[in-house]
Amino acid sequence: MVQEFKLNRLETTRLMGPMVDKHWKELRTAKERGEKVAWCSGVPFIFAYAMDMKCHFMAGYSAYCAGRKAGEHVLEIADSTGELPDTCSYHRMHMGMAEAVKRGIPVREDVVLPIPDLMIAGRVCPEMSHYAEALYRKFGIQVAGIEVTTPYQESDYAVLEPYLERQFKEILIPTMEEICGKPFDYDHMREILRVLKKTATIRNDCLEYFKKVPSPWTLWDYGVSLAPVIYLMGKPETIPYYEKLRAELEERSKNNIPAILPEEKHRVFWDGWLPWGFLGHFSRKLTSYGANPISGRYPWEMFPRPDLIDPEGDPVHTFVKALYTGTMLGNNMAKPGLSLIDKIIPEYQIDGLIFFTAKSCRIWKSQLTILEKMERKYGIPGLCLEADMADPKMFSDAQIDTRLNAFFEVLEARKEKRRWV
Amino acid sequence: MEKVLSRFMELSTDPYASVAKWKEDTGKKIIGCFPMRIPEEIVHASGMLPVVMWRGNEAVTLGHSYVHNFNCGLTRSFIDDVMKEKLDFMDGMIFYRSCLQAEEVPSTIELNAPPRHFLYLYLPPLYPGAVFRDFLIQQLKRMKENIEGWAGQEITKDALNNSIEVYNKNRSLLKRLYELRKRKPGTIRAREMLAIVHSSMLMDKEEHSKLLESLLPELENREAIADGKVRVILTGGLCQTPHTAILDLIEEAGMVVVDDDIYIGSRYFANEVTPGDDPLGSLADRYMKKIPPDPTMGDWKTLWSDYMVDKVRENNAKGMVSLLVKFCPPHLCYYPDIKRTFDREGIPEVMIEVEHEVVSVEQTRTRLQAFVEVIKGGA
Repeated sequence: MVQEFKLNRLETTRLMGPMVDKHWKELRTAKERGEKVAWCSGVPFIFAYAMDMKCHFMAGYSAYCAGRKAGEHVLEIADSTGELPDTCSYHRMHMGMAEAVKRGIPVREDVVLPIPDLMIAGRVCPEMSHYAEALYRKFGIQVAGIEVTTPYQESDYAVLEPYLERQFKEILIPTMEEICGKPFDYDHMREILRVLKKTATIRNDCLEYFKKVPSPWTLWDYGVSLAPVIYLMGKPETIPYYEKLRAELEERSKNNIPAILPEEKHRVFWDGWLPWGFLGHFSRKLTSYGANPISGRYPWEMFPRPDLIDPEGDPVHTFVKALYTGTMLGNNMAKPGLSLIDKIIPEYQIDGLIFFTAKSCRIWKSQLTILEKMERKYGIPGLCLEADMADPKMFSDAQIDTRLNAFFEVLEARKEKRRWV
Repeated sequence: MEKVLSRFMELSTDPYASVAKWKEDTGKKIIGCFPMRIPEEIVHASGMLPVVMWRGNEAVTLGHSYVHNFNCGLTRSFIDDVMKEKLDFMDGMIFYRSCLQAEEVPSTIELNAPPRHFLYLYLPPLYPGAVFRDFLIQQLKRMKENIEGWAGQEITKDALNNSIEVYNKNRSLLKRLYELRKRKPGTIRAREMLAIVHSSMLMDKEEHSKLLESLLPELENREAIADGKVRVILTGGLCQTPHTAILDLIEEAGMVVVDDDIYIGSRYFANEVTPGDDPLGSLADRYMKKIPPDPTMGDWKTLWSDYMVDKVRENNAKGMVSLLVKFCPPHLCYYPDIKRTFDREGIPEVMIEVEHEVVSVEQTRTRLQAFVEVIKGGA
């Protein structure tokens, strides 16, 4: 008889929906209140927050829009207005939204974005600058260009940190001051960093529970809980959220309650993006095998070293330090990523590797190489799932099912050969 | 003339043997530079031969164990060539990130088949602010130091200025060739022009310039075959060689290429470098030039589409053929703007999607023929 599994959802994560909705509603209605609005790719949105400017965060919005099941509609608008299908689906989503607002094409109210007063082109990937360029062409919006280069290797942090710090100080801060008509609010930035430091520290306590066998929570739960350590940063309510989450995990842990019922059968590593548009879909697929995604590179990017954040000193300097030395940037690159995964596999007792590959986004470098090296080193199987973070047209569900089926068969057969045991 | 042209063609279509032979003949090192922005002059000044990495001439097989099949042709093909040990004659490789897929190449190579010398450069976008030029200079100094170590000799200011002059001369000769084509369209076939520029990326610059100097006067006397042909310009192929089969199809459909905006074309030799007291600064100045617009550089104010409209008009061309490399993010992101701009300006434009392995000749032929009919119908 085939064993049946189900997700044992956490109570705390149910609180996240309203917090996230509130954030996007405040952004959506900002113009009505006469507030300035920025759009931002990458992490420099903290500078807009420090100036009390409502700011959209590109990846966060795309995840929100796709998670709200509105992504497909917005992507269709993009396609119908000339965007090409192989283009980054986050880029297309923003172009679709911009065209919808420009042409008055109806879009679901809860995902509408206000056209910004400033576009912060935080160029983490080169493609991120394209949507700033496109917005400039469409609306003539002022752009602040900041290159947030991803480090090729750990030894390059020393070169990249002063480069980014100078950009923030010489370009972004003066632009913010000009747009907002007031001096940059360093104290507010410090306050945001104080909250972030506390939230991320408690979050790190929560991550420790992933090491427990069986784990009391899943990467899907953590995915839902990412906003407080990224675009909800600085909101005081993010601290009690993580305190509550930690308490619930402690309770489960004490009583040996697993996140997958009746038992956690397989512990897998999930590489690449979380599939925001299809989170429930993929979680159901993995759960049906009793598989719990325990860890991944992407969720491990959200300020993993809060101990390096010193809000009482120069807030710009410490923020940059948290990005590079603090290993927030760079896990997507092959060499730092390989070191991280190499550490995670034994620490979290991983049975198999699922590398989620987004066809329209190649930010996760050399995945096939990393997969091969880790399979060889630890004797655990690996699988590349070719899909997309937001566009359902990029993959075939039946193919994914077939591959998952074969993967879990191999994983079962190879369990005795795991070399971290 | 035909002998020189066939040498260029041979080098462009099968660079492996020729580049390896140059190394054997001279005993000098070969350094592969990722297209499009690495200042080759620094390598040249060290006495080594810089060559621009190329898209290979066979289908990707082994490489697909290391890179996804939805990466662009250049990245897949280059990794494939490295894994097949076809590029073992390269002593060093220099990379930077021109796009997300380009960023995948260095780590894949370094982790699987590291070359003897390896350098990853951080080259900044063309954003406003002094910080970007300062950072670029810092990176160029880093590049120079690395190259000196590889070559085992210091790169003096004089050597660098000399290399700048060598490159400038080659650029001016290529420019003369392009001017000749503008004056006498049809004198040089599109595939010949491609081979000439491409071979400049693959051989010793001084030798290439000598060959060009001998070729230019002979081409002046060559018969043009442009009567009744539709004048077009080419764009796209941002960092990689277009298929010569497609270039032939364009001509067979009744068009003549009068100018182009492709990397293995006018983009490669645009803008000279001013030699002087601060040659690295001069190289940085060339890098920071915003014309021709480069969609990989993040410059939001210089519109690529407007530049191309101007190029069509300056050349009295009747239309533009866009060669869009499959999975090329910068071109994909910009194309909607190009299309809209050309529609607005009433200039016919056709986009041909090109892939490393497959050229659907008959489909492409039909589209190009239809494009010519549209232009003629509207004339």
